[in-house]
Amino acid sequence: MRAVNVRVLQVAIVAVAASWTLAAQAPAPTQVTAQDLRDGLKNPTRWLNYGGDYGNQRYSPLTQITPANVSRLTAQWQFQTDTLGKFEATPLVLDGVVYVTGPLDTGWAIDARTGRQIWRYRRELPPGLIACCGLVNRGFGVLGDRLFKTTLDAHIVAISRKTGAIEWDTPMVNYRHGYSGTTAPLVVKDKVIAGVAGAEYGIRGFIDAYDANTGKQVWRFYTTAGPGDPGHGTWRGTDQKAWENGGGSIWVPGAYDPELNLTYWGTGNAGPDYNGSAREGDNLYTASIVALDADTGALKWHYQFTPHDIWDYDSTQMPVLADLTLGGQLRKVVLFANRNGFFYVLDRATGKLIRAKPFIQTTWAKEIRPDGRPMLEPNSVPSEDGTKVCPDQTGGTNWMPPSFSPSLNLLFVTARESCGVFFSWKEDYAAGDAYRGGAVQRLVDEQYSMLRAIDVLTGEKRWEFPYANQSWTGVLSTASGLVFAGSSGNVIAFEGKSGKQLWHFQTGSTLYAGAITYMVDDRQYVLMPSGTTLTAFALAAF
Amino acid sequence: MRGTLSVVVAAASIAISLGCATSAFAQDRGRAEQRPAKNPYEGKAEAITNGGAMFRTRCAGCHGPDAHGYLGPDLTGFWAAGGTDDRMFDIVRKGIPGTEMIAADPMRVLDRDIWQVMAYIRTLNAVPATAPSGDAANGAQVFRANCSSCHMVNARGGQLGPDLSRIGSARPRAGLHAKLRGTGNFIRPGYEPVTIVTRAGERIRGVRKNEDEFSIQIMDMRERLQGYLKDNLSEVRLEKQSVMPVYGPDRLSDRDLNDLLQYLAGLRGADATSR
Repeated sequence: MRAVNVRVLQVAIVAVAASWTLAAQAPAPTQVTAQDLRDGLKNPTRWLNYGGDYGNQRYSPLTQITPANVSRLTAQWQFQTDTLGKFEATPLVLDGVVYVTGPLDTGWAIDARTGRQIWRYRRELPPGLIACCGLVNRGFGVLGDRLFKTTLDAHIVAISRKTGAIEWDTPMVNYRHGYSGTTAPLVVKDKVIAGVAGAEYGIRGFIDAYDANTGKQVWRFYTTAGPGDPGHGTWRGTDQKAWENGGGSIWVPGAYDPELNLTYWGTGNAGPDYNGSAREGDNLYTASIVALDADTGALKWHYQFTPHDIWDYDSTQMPVLADLTLGGQLRKVVLFANRNGFFYVLDRATGKLIRAKPFIQTTWAKEIRPDGRPMLEPNSVPSEDGTKVCPDQTGGTNWMPPSFSPSLNLLFVTARESCGVFFSWKEDYAAGDAYRGGAVQRLVDEQYSMLRAIDVLTGEKRWEFPYANQSWTGVLSTASGLVFAGSSGNVIAFEGKSGKQLWHFQTGSTLYAGAITYMVDDRQYVLMPSGTTLTAFALAAF
Repeated sequence: MRGTLSVVVAAASIAISLGCATSAFAQDRGRAEQRPAKNPYEGKAEAITNGGAMFRTRCAGCHGPDAHGYLGPDLTGFWAAGGTDDRMFDIVRKGIPGTEMIAADPMRVLDRDIWQVMAYIRTLNAVPATAPSGDAANGAQVFRANCSSCHMVNARGGQLGPDLSRIGSARPRAGLHAKLRGTGNFIRPGYEPVTIVTRAGERIRGVRKNEDEFSIQIMDMRERLQGYLKDNLSEVRLEKQSVMPVYGPDRLSDRDLNDLLQYLAGLRGADATSR
């Protein structure tokens, strides 16, 4: 008995001493709140959301690194994953720790000062996974002391921010039918919102919200309109159940407007990709942006960029929210540089089209009419013998996130001029099998890739920087007037207003994500994923 | 919902090769379908139509729009020359190492797609024309005199142009003919002709090995590998005309050309006797 009492006493003394030490030396561990997420990048030591802030502007207020001193930017550390595959994730940063997901359902907590690993997460994946475009992941969401991610076998999981342990694990849908999870989740209030990919395999896409505490599903919005849904009549033709395999993937997280309580998501192509003969009609809500009530998932409005998509023009680009003065009026808008080659400005309360202009050469549609529908060009339908259409299926841009500088009113987009020959054939649906109904021959001599700055007030191109190879790089801009993007393994810094190239660093591997920036110990870092490496840059200390 | 669970994922399993995991998925999907020995789609009208469309987008770029061969071999005589469905399926699924014939990714190309393409090609089946003749021994001499300063065969020769040790499997005779006579315009990636001019005015010609926004890597005409910073160059000019000379009838008689083609067509891999 006495021995036990002594031990209890010892433990108590140690505990008291430990808590005193903690109280004296370090702040309590941060709990990320819904308000923190609303605050976006106001706290410069943090990057808490895939797109930086809820508007996905990827515009940092940091000004330590400037156009004048960026030439002194130097690599500080590198982190390597020891996996195959590639990073497509945007890292999160909180309290001096980087949280990032990698290929094949991996993830890490890393010291933001040194690049040293703190913990590693790895999911045991089942055999027979199906994913058209790489076994990748685009990043964590965060709330409280939990991280959230989608998985390649179409689950959504909550992970302890302290240890990497799984805290809940909810299947979204049966992955064997061609579904996968690659998007970073969007966390809004107490909900974790995410969708599924797989429109090349005849899925029926959806966007789900889950309770952040329990992992229980709260609402679901299907991206193909089923019986009883408004828009179901846009699925006609010989296949009565085309909507069941109609596609509409989610690859990247949406945006959120707290005042309107609306969350905005871009949806993927209709399926089968290139043969629309069995699915006549507009095929809502594929290749669209949908505005959903964040609490209920109810559809507030939609705008379809590519009605009856037969070119694989996924609208899985980032919706970017901005407040612009247009025609003397302050408008709450959503900016959308679409894979189909048009740059759109929409009223984000109503979904009404304000302006659409091509930002690359387009030959599937000549222009977007004032009523919002594209004016299609003749002879642009994929065929047995091939039909030349611009852009090709990879599009004028793709899922890589752009950046918007509100101080310059410029949207920086990784863009591409291209054309392809589109073929179509008849294909029957079989669960889990590819379901494309055609293919595209890319015309390699007619393409080039570039960083393009679009004036959001006019839709006109302001400047461009041509790349030597096709780029898949996301973009970051800062309040000091810098833009970070790249190609061919090069991270490149530009002057935002002119497009002048100011600095570059060859990382040694292709860039498939965008840079982020954060402060630690009063030092500004720029962190860029490339291949399976993260490289952190800061100004040389001299 | 699987319920709350708390699993600390063991970091010790890092060493498991994730790459193997990827191919294991593919194999798993491949195994699910038992491959028939004979093409189940042969002669079926819809399959032939679909296969024709697939052929035009996926195969015609190398094998020609009529499958008579361009960069890749003529396929129309495949069965007449003793080829089997099983063999062609294998070639499409696995590719041919050392040539531009890549393996068809099971995630993207279903067994059904391959059978449909084969059903189409089968409709083009032709008896091969009488086997071309020529004096390969003389062709080898012509090669040594004209080509081997730039092309290697079985580890002998120059390296400015591509190694031709397997060119007989990789290219149809017509494609080689076109390249030599200057009527074919294909240049293999890594051999694009380029001229660079340094700020000091020096002109350097060679073939491009790689390029990014700030640098270019080339092999010059003397086979020197070298990278250049674009900041130090006043011009980088990519050219359309291959560095390989055109061998018109004035440089190479029809007969010598025919003998050379006979020699090249027989190059199908490393010569065991040369090792």
